[in-house]
Amino acid sequence: MSEIISSDNLRKLAAEWIEQGVRVAAPQHAGGRVLYLPLKNSADLLLDAFIHPANSAKEFLFPKSETLYAYRVEGQDVKLVEAPGTETPQVLLGVRPCDAAAFPILDHIFNWDCADELYNRRRRNTTIVVLACSAHDANCFCTSVGLGPASERGADVLLVPLTNDTFEVRSVTEKGRSLFAGKTQTDNVAAMAAAGPEPRFAPDAVRKFSAANFEHPIWGEHALACVGCGACAHTCPTCHCFDIVDEHGERVRNWDSCQFSLFTLHASGHNPRPDQGSRQRQRILHKFSIYPDKFGEILCTGCGNCTRNCPAGLGVLPLLIAIEHEEHLPA
Amino acid sequence: MSEVFEPRIVAFVCNWCTYLGADLAGTTRLEYPANVRIVRLPCSGRIDFNLLIKAFEIGADAVLVSGCHPGDCHYNTGNYHARRRWMLFRPLLEVLGFDMRRLHFAWISAAESRKFQQTVKQVVEETRQLGPYQYPAPPTDSYGAGREPHKNHFDAAAAQQRAREMLEAKEVDVVIGYGSSGPVFIRRPEDVDQITCEETGLNLAAYLGRKEVRAMGRAAILTKPMDAGALVVLERESQIESGAVKTIPIGEPGKGDFSDLDALLALPPAERMAWWAGEFARCTRCYACRQVCPMCYCERCIADKNRPVVIDTSPTPVGNFAWHVTRAFHLAGRCVGCGACNHACPVGIDLRLLNMAVHRAVAEQFDFNVGADPKAESPIGCWAPADHEEFIR
Repeated sequence: MSEIISSDNLRKLAAEWIEQGVRVAAPQHAGGRVLYLPLKNSADLLLDAFIHPANSAKEFLFPKSETLYAYRVEGQDVKLVEAPGTETPQVLLGVRPCDAAAFPILDHIFNWDCADELYNRRRRNTTIVVLACSAHDANCFCTSVGLGPASERGADVLLVPLTNDTFEVRSVTEKGRSLFAGKTQTDNVAAMAAAGPEPRFAPDAVRKFSAANFEHPIWGEHALACVGCGACAHTCPTCHCFDIVDEHGERVRNWDSCQFSLFTLHASGHNPRPDQGSRQRQRILHKFSIYPDKFGEILCTGCGNCTRNCPAGLGVLPLLIAIEHEEHLPA
Repeated sequence: MSEVFEPRIVAFVCNWCTYLGADLAGTTRLEYPANVRIVRLPCSGRIDFNLLIKAFEIGADAVLVSGCHPGDCHYNTGNYHARRRWMLFRPLLEVLGFDMRRLHFAWISAAESRKFQQTVKQVVEETRQLGPYQYPAPPTDSYGAGREPHKNHFDAAAAQQRAREMLEAKEVDVVIGYGSSGPVFIRRPEDVDQITCEETGLNLAAYLGRKEVRAMGRAAILTKPMDAGALVVLERESQIESGAVKTIPIGEPGKGDFSDLDALLALPPAERMAWWAGEFARCTRCYACRQVCPMCYCERCIADKNRPVVIDTSPTPVGNFAWHVTRAFHLAGRCVGCGACNHACPVGIDLRLLNMAVHRAVAEQFDFNVGADPKAESPIGCWAPADHEEFIR
């Protein structure tokens, strides 16, 4: 027996949540593309006919700009004002499996050497409803990093398309079960997950190569066309580097990117990563070697957003394929 | 709250005329409202537009900019340069829907204490009627339409042929073209089939300043119809030598189309401002717009300067507004309309509209064609006695 829900009922449910003051974020059309955005009208909710939104769902747990605390100078003293934070319940609806799989990774990051209260508070109040993929494009590579079109990692609920307008509801956690309790019908059909993309490379080969070939010419060659913007990092579900600045009496945490020249620039003017090649190398090393060494998992979920959004059409995938090719060359 | 609204006015004035005019107003006991905070600069030519933006950011309800009358400048021509800049800055603010009733320009001499008094009185009264200045919140019911990504494809055969000829004749050392996954840098004639003319959103002139590319030697680039103008601007600004970069044109030139801009300008200013607030709300400050622009070759961008912070680095409504105003105005009289910024924006902000507004102002007011003659003086770097000033009190 399985639980099912029609797309109409799913929309009604989303409308109910919005009515109750829940912040619902979901894929919808905006900016001439599909983006995850706070849902204002349940009719705008997209449940099919898109591969992956141009942004990632991380921004609902780790916003692009967040006030950590405010400060005021009072006489001889500086007074600190805590950021209020938010306890608003949140449902991320229609999130792709590759976005959801990034949340356990972000959990590690924000609770590794200290527990990030702002992140954790938001995380506690968030339920993640994943929408399994029914199609993939040339940029997708989830199967290469151990995930797939119906992966449950990071999900509270997994929706698997059954027909054009029904979904099988698979509750993964208690949180997810209670969200959909009494809202589904039972049926004896089971949805089949769509086939994922063919695996494109082996992460282990990338790890071995990148750890052993720090000075290899491939880094510079691949980075020749890289323009050095942050489009890849800002639309990546797992990239989490941030910068902290003081602006208008507030200490603010903003997204940063290792592809910016400013990222490693010292006050002296020296830059230990002086060119785009060394910055690209850092991004690959971090995702496939440094992070796995520390936390035992890859810092990439194969969503393909870095390739999709790269103004120059580069991205991680072509480089990874090239690296694996190098690794398998006879020495 | 029954507190009476007291407008905060910031006046940026020049040291030699308006500041002395204000001083004279004081010594001659001419009373004017205390709402104005005066910031003295050496010359109206030194009043950067970022200062005006900053003033509004930190709480000004209106800004007054004032300098010496034409012909009176202590440095001879500083005020003429300032006037030229305001002529282009105003159309940019207009397309953004900024309330132009909050930005005032004046010529006030050292002897015109009464004019200073009257101007301040008027500005304060007008601003009192307008109420406090606030950044608009993005519209609550819809998201910005933005612009769909579109892909150009061109016939690669002719470009491959030309590239092969150039490399074989050793006219150039490298041909920069469009490949199947990003730009390709072709150094050997036998590699020209890597040029596929797919994914042609970039303007390849953006690569010319890169250290690694310069090291390759003499370059030729594939140019879409609007792209080659960038070489003219780079030559005008002494970034490349005349004729140093060869071009391989692809595609037929189209006609400039301003219909989107006109549709936006048909909206009332407040709606325009709210529309942009919705667009800018999506901006994450990935700086893809800047990184792909052939004209953004500064070694360190003003947006990356942090001592002091000129433009907020936070992707907030205030920070994003300041960034996009700055980007567009730094391209005044320099943008060639290649559309690379639009193509690059991962969240589909129609940045082109800002550049088009300034571009049209440049063409209409100064009859200047940005991408035509490398020897022609940049319209933002010169001035003319006949420059119009009906917007200056």
